[in-house]
Amino acid sequence: MNEILATILSATFVAAVIRTTTPILFASLGGLLSDLVGSLNVALEGIMLIGALTAVIVSAHAPWYIGVLAGLAAGGFLGGVMALFHLRFKADIILVGFAINIIAAGGTVTVLNYATGGDKGTSINIPSKAIPELDLSFLGNIPAVGPFLSEVFSGHSYLTWLAAFMVYAIWYFLYRTPEGLRFRAVGEYPPAAEAAGIAPNRLRTYGLIASGCLAGLGGAQLAMFSFVGFTRDMTAGRGFIALGAVLLGRRHPIGTMVAAVLFGFFEALSIALPGILQWMPGELIHTIPFVVTVIALMLSSRRRLIA
Amino acid sequence: MTQGRLILSETGRIVMAAIFALVVTLIIIFFASKTPWATFETFITSPLSSKRTIGIWIDDSAKLALAGLAFSLVFQARQFALGVQGQVYIGGLFATLVAFSPVGTTWIALPAGILAAMIGGAIMGFIPGYAKSKLGANEIVSSLMLNYIAYDVCNYILRVYLASLESGLTTSASFPPQSIYPAFIPRTRVDLGLVIALVTTLVVWFLLYRTAWGLKLRLTGHNARFAAYSGIRSSFIMVSAMTAAGAIGGLLGAVFVQGTAYGKLSIGFEAGMAFEGILITIVARNRPLAIPFVALGYGYLRQGAALMNYRADVPAEVIGIVQGIVILLVASSFTVPGKAMLARLMGNRTAASRATS
Repeated sequence: MNEILATILSATFVAAVIRTTTPILFASLGGLLSDLVGSLNVALEGIMLIGALTAVIVSAHAPWYIGVLAGLAAGGFLGGVMALFHLRFKADIILVGFAINIIAAGGTVTVLNYATGGDKGTSINIPSKAIPELDLSFLGNIPAVGPFLSEVFSGHSYLTWLAAFMVYAIWYFLYRTPEGLRFRAVGEYPPAAEAAGIAPNRLRTYGLIASGCLAGLGGAQLAMFSFVGFTRDMTAGRGFIALGAVLLGRRHPIGTMVAAVLFGFFEALSIALPGILQWMPGELIHTIPFVVTVIALMLSSRRRLIA
Repeated sequence: MTQGRLILSETGRIVMAAIFALVVTLIIIFFASKTPWATFETFITSPLSSKRTIGIWIDDSAKLALAGLAFSLVFQARQFALGVQGQVYIGGLFATLVAFSPVGTTWIALPAGILAAMIGGAIMGFIPGYAKSKLGANEIVSSLMLNYIAYDVCNYILRVYLASLESGLTTSASFPPQSIYPAFIPRTRVDLGLVIALVTTLVVWFLLYRTAWGLKLRLTGHNARFAAYSGIRSSFIMVSAMTAAGAIGGLLGAVFVQGTAYGKLSIGFEAGMAFEGILITIVARNRPLAIPFVALGYGYLRQGAALMNYRADVPAEVIGIVQGIVILLVASSFTVPGKAMLARLMGNRTAASRATS
């Protein structure tokens, strides 16, 4: 037990939490934007997967930031496709989301097969690039807390800092700009928004595209920093956990971030635990983030019902 | 709409979906294959090329039909629980435990395995249902999380307690013969699973269209508020629908592990097939009686894709893209406007019992 506490309180573990949180945070912020306009985006998982593969393949032929942008663009495109089918052709948003997930699961393996010349499992023989680390080791010069700070904050992906900034930017947009007010109104009660002269479908389209872009960034971070290279089904439920984070975070950017950090914490824990608790079977450790999501979802919803 | 015209229009829709699927596949093959026409021919004709492949097609279709039925029950109640995969794993695990218990070598092995699997699946269906109705937890997220948990738990028990050391793969030892379905046609995979799928289809149809519970379930699905105002305890209906669907999912797990194709438990035995039930039920518009036909059609495409993987240069995963695009096309082109549906519901009873989508 002491050993676990010592691990959790260490600077390396905090840094690991930041790393595991980043992809989930991007996807959750995406889920938040689409959920607020009333189109629950269950395709986050599939969009992350496609974003990850796109980023890997493009980064093999271009600088890393072009790879990241390609992941973002692929995500935005898929968000646009969802908006087209949901808003224009009146398909159920949940079914559209699942169709995207299914296309992503099969499509990424198919494309990977052609991109690698026959490998259906990983992109290991594609020379893809990684997102560089942002070096903040100068923080180590601060007396007393310096070494701790530098270990926690130095060496993260550029995208981690972008994700943290996006939490603020999305909060500012939603709560401090008129467009953000309209954005929230559409999800709250569409007829009222419509009566006030807001076109719900236009905002929903923006919401879905933005949501796709953010999930695509999450995928890029996953395949170009967390792991370098693409493996089939590498998102492993992170998109759905992100959806849980949106619901758990009460559809508020700060709450969503807190929930994403919570899930990141348990993911990092499930990575660190096998080294400490050797008697505990790996499969059961692997279920920790999922069990936590279910329990957190139940508990948070309960409080809302009572309140 | 008369019964005859209804069947005609539904058949037309399913045929349209099949044409969509073929066109989409053809387009993908044109991009992906060096010899597109030969590949397409393999795709179309190979499932019928031997007794063995026909057997696989029939067996897969039976499993797809069961997955479709499980999804159709929850979708009819307008719940989006997607836990069939987890139910299949738990069902398969429970059936395995029965097969390796002393019961497994007696004549009661098959029914006991099926029953245990259904109970396991029902529990897995009940949890997200209860969490939704009593705690307000979103059923999409909770059921998906349960899928991952069930998969890991199943693998853990398999690896630690059941794994047979003779093979390099993580699989259990083969079940005792009493616990494996007899094949109807020797040396094919056509077995008791086919009968189970057909019987389940009739049972689901009966429950939905010939019982008060089914009417309440469909009313809840059309308009939960309307159902609540008419005195239906919609939360009870919701939870019971999800539990019943879970039992079907568990049953599918038993059909997997006890079937002649497996006869043992192995890692990831359902290979994503449970999720493909979503396509089946969407194309069948949640109608139980249409589900076996859609399953046969999709099972054929699926088998064609698998053989294309072996005999041509296009990977089997292509079928996932086809599946997703068909869901998009079918889900968007056949939406009944809400107003018309409500009018039909408020009309006479026979009209209400037919308004099903």
